[in-house]
Amino acid sequence: MAKTGLFYSFNSNKTKLAADKIAAGFGKGNIDMVNAETLTEEEFLAYSNLVLGVPTWFDGELPNYWDEFTPALEGLDLKGKIFAFFGLGDQKGYPENFGDAIGIMAELVEARGGKVIGLTSTEGYTFESSRAVRDGQFLGLLLDQENQARLTKKRIEGWVADIGKVMK
Amino acid sequence: MDNQKVPKLYTIKNTPKEVLEKWFYLMVIGRAIDDKAPNYLKQAIGWSYHAPYAGHDGIQLAIGQHFEKNKDHIFMYYRDMLTALSCGITPEEVILNGISKATDVSSGGRHMSNHFSKPEWNIHNFSSLTGNHTLHAVGAARALKYYNVDAVSISVQGESSLSEGFVYEAINGADNEELPVIFTVQDNGYGISVPKKDQTANRKVANNFSGFKNTRIIHCNGKDVFDSMNAMAEAKRYALAESKPVILQANCVRMRSHSNSDDHLLYRSEAERNYVVEYDPLAKLRRLLIRYNRFTKEEVAAIEEKAKAGLKTAHKAALKAPDPDPATINDFVLPEAYEAKKYPDGIHNQEGEKKKLITALNETLKAEFRHNPDTFIWGQDMANKDKGGIFNVSKGLQQEFGPKRVFNAPIAEDFIVGTANGMSRHDSKIRIVVEGAEFADYFWPAMEQYVEASHDYWRSNGKFAPNVTIRLASGGYIGGGLYHSQNIEGSLASIPGVRIVYPSFADDAAGLLRVAIRSKGPTIFMEPKALYQDPKAATVVPDDFEVPFGKARVRREGNALSVITYGNTTHMCLEAAEKLAQEGKSLEVIDLRSLVPLDKEAIFNSVKKTNRVLVVHEDKVHGGFGGELAAMVAEEAFEWLDAPVKRVGSIFTPVGFNRILEKAVLPDTDKIYEAAKQLLDY
Repeated sequence: MAKTGLFYSFNSNKTKLAADKIAAGFGKGNIDMVNAETLTEEEFLAYSNLVLGVPTWFDGELPNYWDEFTPALEGLDLKGKIFAFFGLGDQKGYPENFGDAIGIMAELVEARGGKVIGLTSTEGYTFESSRAVRDGQFLGLLLDQENQARLTKKRIEGWVADIGKVMK
Repeated sequence: MDNQKVPKLYTIKNTPKEVLEKWFYLMVIGRAIDDKAPNYLKQAIGWSYHAPYAGHDGIQLAIGQHFEKNKDHIFMYYRDMLTALSCGITPEEVILNGISKATDVSSGGRHMSNHFSKPEWNIHNFSSLTGNHTLHAVGAARALKYYNVDAVSISVQGESSLSEGFVYEAINGADNEELPVIFTVQDNGYGISVPKKDQTANRKVANNFSGFKNTRIIHCNGKDVFDSMNAMAEAKRYALAESKPVILQANCVRMRSHSNSDDHLLYRSEAERNYVVEYDPLAKLRRLLIRYNRFTKEEVAAIEEKAKAGLKTAHKAALKAPDPDPATINDFVLPEAYEAKKYPDGIHNQEGEKKKLITALNETLKAEFRHNPDTFIWGQDMANKDKGGIFNVSKGLQQEFGPKRVFNAPIAEDFIVGTANGMSRHDSKIRIVVEGAEFADYFWPAMEQYVEASHDYWRSNGKFAPNVTIRLASGGYIGGGLYHSQNIEGSLASIPGVRIVYPSFADDAAGLLRVAIRSKGPTIFMEPKALYQDPKAATVVPDDFEVPFGKARVRREGNALSVITYGNTTHMCLEAAEKLAQEGKSLEVIDLRSLVPLDKEAIFNSVKKTNRVLVVHEDKVHGGFGGELAAMVAEEAFEWLDAPVKRVGSIFTPVGFNRILEKAVLPDTDKIYEAAKQLLDY
């Protein structure tokens, strides 16, 4: 299996819980856990398959740790790399910007040659708009612990199975 | 056009090091003062109102960096400490305002702390009434456009202020007139303790205005310096290039309570408080500077030390500054009036053809527009073909002076008055006349701007007064009913800082209007609309007539009773006096002409002669201006009185619409005659 990394903030709570479940889905030893808070360009480029935990903050923003990495990201060549995004969002509290951060990150990596996989259906979610939606699909896995916590486990399992088919 | 397409002019990688150093220094010293401010209160030094800005750092720095002093106009709000510093106000000046010293450049300790301004740089003194300065920003932009100045007017405000009706009026006006205004909205999610969801349905409140035709809406991360700088640069570029407004909504966090009188522990969870502090904009910039090798840790520490020393120096200097002198409390209530040199008593002896009151007003307006090319007039129904003002007082003005100086306003009284205030800030040579409302009793929606205008001069320690004459068609006797017949001068006169005049005759109307327009500061000009066309009010009017403020006119001399009056009732008093003269009673009728300032000397001279006083006005006796007159006579001229002071006015009800009801409410000649007789017989 190509080198696969799971990048998320080690300071986070809900994102960390989701990351643990995803890592379990990949199986022990198949995926490295990397702290997005202290991420360097070298660490990022060391992986072929990258799973990024990108929760949406405030009214549709990247968390500060990803936002602070974007100037570095803008200078990287990501051709040949495969990306999959998961992120927490609140479709009821923030229906105008549900999961925007995934859309922002997807656009950034695509612009530098990265390939985004792990698109998911918008069915079962109720929101007004999202930057994470393209052609009727989310550009990653949207998790809503505020309103649909009971669906999280199933959503993660299905998604990991999907991306696992590509991230080999 | 993609509204969100904002060029990335500034990034952590490409911004010159010296620029980054300047920004970081401002942010560090700003935060140091922001954090230190509560200590001044704890030590009983001052700063009893402090609204911390922490969490708004990015956008505040960006706004200030895009403000060009003496060119642009900016209207901040009470959370804008870093905006102030970024505009060029020094740390010492910030502290002087915070602890309300006499040398505070904003107000000399008169206005609240955390209200930073420097009017001499066009950093305008602003209200505590959140967002009402949007109207001033629009007015200032109207001036920029008229005088072809390549500059913008910036309004800065919190997102909750967009719930205010006058903010809608301002944005609508700027959109309609296509004015270069940047409405920067700092969105921290709360109006004190009220969350966004209780303010409006859109979390991004700027999007409520997405249907506006000429207004561009830009969103940015107000916590991020670079995103804020890029967004503000684009907002300014667009406003200048297109001469159109922009709403720039910056998403911020409020890291502290609303102010020192608020405690956010009462309504924010620990998780939320930690969440917002985690996105501390200053900490973020510090991390970026080091991560991207723009500064070493040592260099960052050196800047932080420099800021610490800067704060210490500013603190020491501010503490040594003098406190305000209580003897100055009466300074700057009203600016100087135009001196009526030709007619120092406001009286003339010219003979010739009489003119109606409406003609006198119309001709005076035209004369003043010819006299001063920087005179403007607007209001509802101001100009549409042959219509010139609701009662045609301003007929022909637009034809002669053009639509840029004479124009219609939307049906928005607060907008009419507030933009007049704002436009007059651009240059002290500007004189503005507004029809404040269709009828005087429609003026109430503009009351907040009236109050604003009343204390601008005092509050700014004499640095700014709006040069605005507010014309209001007032009073009844036309069968108009509610909103078309009532008098409001009693209410207005209770607020210091505005002159109030109320003529009864054509010549006085002309003379007072000329002096009001030429004077500095605001004047309420009440027009007794029932007399516009009435031959009773027609007089000879000298072309250059002037009536100074605070000069009453004895319209009939007598020695048995002083009748003190103004407006419509002057004529009724004269009729009653004539009737009593035929019965051998000699009444003196004094037409006050000015209520504020008041000619006390003329009143007391008459009281000394007659020893009896009847106060008459059309407004209600209860709470009317006559109460002030009666109290003043009783208090200061008691020893000359042979009878109690009596008042005649409207009864304490609204004015009825049916003529029978109207007559029952309003004073008339018979009621005045009866009251005068009672006093004479006392």
